[in-house]
Amino acid sequence: MENHPLADEQQEGDSAFVFEGTWQEFAPIAFTNLLLTIVTLGIYRFWATTRERQYLWSRSRFIDERLEWSGTGLELFIGFMLAAVLILLPFFVLAQVAQALALQGMEVIAGLITFGSFVLVFYLTGVARFRALRYRLSRTRWRGIRGGSDNQGLGYGVSYMWKTFVGYLVIGLLIPWSMAKLWNERWGKMSFGPREFDANLDHSTFFGRFFLFYLSPFIFAIGGVVAAAVMGGAGFLAGGDTGAAVGSFIAVLLMVFGFYFLLGLIAVAFYAQYYREAVKSLSWGDVDFEFNASTKDWLVLFIVDTLLVVFTLGIGLIFIGYRHWKFFIVHMEARGEILLDELTQSETTTAKHGEGLLDAFDIGAI
Amino acid sequence: MTDPAFTANVSWYDGKSALRHVGTTSLTRDGLLALQKPGAEAEVVDPDDLTFVEARKGETIYTRASNSDFRLTVAEPVPPIIASKLPGKATYGGWIDRFGLVKASIAFALVSVVAVAGVVTAPDWLGPRVPPSWERQLGNAMVGDLGNRLCSTPESDAALAKMLDAVDPSQEKVRAGIANMAMVNAVALPGEQVLLMDGLLQQAESQEEVLGVLAHEVGHVRERHVMTAVLRQFGLSILLSGADSGVLSNAAGIASLGYTRDAEREADDYARERLNDAQVSPLGAAAFFERMREKSGGSGEDNELVGWLASHPSSGERAKAFRDAHRDGRNYRDVLSDEEFTALKQACENDPDVEEFGFF
Repeated sequence: MENHPLADEQQEGDSAFVFEGTWQEFAPIAFTNLLLTIVTLGIYRFWATTRERQYLWSRSRFIDERLEWSGTGLELFIGFMLAAVLILLPFFVLAQVAQALALQGMEVIAGLITFGSFVLVFYLTGVARFRALRYRLSRTRWRGIRGGSDNQGLGYGVSYMWKTFVGYLVIGLLIPWSMAKLWNERWGKMSFGPREFDANLDHSTFFGRFFLFYLSPFIFAIGGVVAAAVMGGAGFLAGGDTGAAVGSFIAVLLMVFGFYFLLGLIAVAFYAQYYREAVKSLSWGDVDFEFNASTKDWLVLFIVDTLLVVFTLGIGLIFIGYRHWKFFIVHMEARGEILLDELTQSETTTAKHGEGLLDAFDIGAI
Repeated sequence: MTDPAFTANVSWYDGKSALRHVGTTSLTRDGLLALQKPGAEAEVVDPDDLTFVEARKGETIYTRASNSDFRLTVAEPVPPIIASKLPGKATYGGWIDRFGLVKASIAFALVSVVAVAGVVTAPDWLGPRVPPSWERQLGNAMVGDLGNRLCSTPESDAALAKMLDAVDPSQEKVRAGIANMAMVNAVALPGEQVLLMDGLLQQAESQEEVLGVLAHEVGHVRERHVMTAVLRQFGLSILLSGADSGVLSNAAGIASLGYTRDAEREADDYARERLNDAQVSPLGAAAFFERMREKSGGSGEDNELVGWLASHPSSGERAKAFRDAHRDGRNYRDVLSDEEFTALKQACENDPDVEEFGFF
């Protein structure tokens, strides 16, 4: 029996996940991808994505072996074409039909068709999320073993639809509940090798920050009135009516700026906690995961992203995928034990095509 | 046999479990790769069965065509005798690796330029080649029968038919109707259908004006501009579908089908020829455009820049072309009698069951 107690393998304090790439090494890949994507009018992007992932995965070590991305550009391309023919084209035709019906005075039927299309897009968004995760796991290899799921995600699509709807129903207060349920449902159907993932995220662990985010506009509104009055009053004492106006104006200016800044800050704080709790709730056999990025880490990530893109006039965009993957691997932790000879090949069926549906809707996977 | 001239260090996963096998490889007498692990029987792999997966620092990874879960990692240095048996590396993908990055990029760029040019100009060369019967069916599907939204009395229908006789020489006439709209405009719709808006009739000072406009719209139909415009609109809506796929905005797009400057000029040329054939004075059309010009641009000179930018040729330029087509001393005739022209003008007023015309 070859066992892998994670703690023995690593030095104390080392993470089971290590990122070994450098941006200098990645740059030639990023720039040639950009060049080829431009000269092929974007068609190369499927192969570009694959090359980028191959690099990122191959520089990510889990314990003593690097990951491997075994997806191909061709399958991403086929996936996109399938989505285009089976989903985008019918939607386009439906839109034309609805419009012709509206022109001919059958507004009700046209409206129904439009509404039906909307519901279908909603449903397919859920299916796409599920399948993107499944695709990524099925193309991720570690020690020759891959992940996947035998579930097609069709049921998840239904679940996604009604849970998201219910989440918004009670003035949005059930959104954390739907996020937690969907996370558990999605990951509960995934596996790596012979073992399934298990997720039991409880929405109460991150509801507090959600509620803070939820209430913040009201708090700001009240704070704004108070601040304007105080500043206005101070201005009045200093310079009469003009002073009051200037004081109030400055207060409003500060409020508007503070509103967007603080709202963004609270949103990041909420997401950071949600993601920490979500990963913490995840286990795979005897392995437990952890994600240790704090709100500050996320903020630095986003701010540097923005600076990178702005100061390179957009070219920095080609490094965003690298930065986000590195962020993900650097902050991932795992504890527990892996029995290597019990870790056998995944028996799940693999889809022959890539993230077509997801590509069509432009959504991220994890 | 562990002579470095003939062996390489390898590790492999059989794809069935996560156990790593570490050992060396060397060629057998049959030219196969023997994967040797200390104290175990060698596993033999046909190098032709291997395919390249990826290159890492100091090592290259291969899989087997017959077992895509298998992974073989060959560490450098690899003796030439083994290296020559291993499959080549792939960097960018099949075609690009074959031609090299620079050549492939240039080739792709050329193909892309041709493709973009083809797509951009497609409406112009494809439009006129679409069979008229297809256009009619497309028109029926897109616009259909406008029914009661058109103003129609027996007298106005007869007058309209008489006008069409004069300006549309084809056996199968375009369908023409009077739309119950106050706008001063006329449109050619998909499916060989022309609409004169009531507003245009109301402000028309002579039947020659109406004939000129009608002939212009018939020109759009006969020169196949409608199909070209539909294709252009279709292409645009595909391009924009990502940003906006609202049904209403699409409908608005159809309602505002636009033609290029060249198309407008062609339709004007067509109108002048038809008016000439029908012995109708082009001064009516000239007067119409002059009035349009005063309405839109005020009284001053035509702004050259605006005239060039706008999709329609400037009204002044168009009016002049019609005025120049007038031949002094020629006998021009009236197509309609005064009663017939009045019946046309009063079509909307006298039609008892006409509905408001709205696209929505």
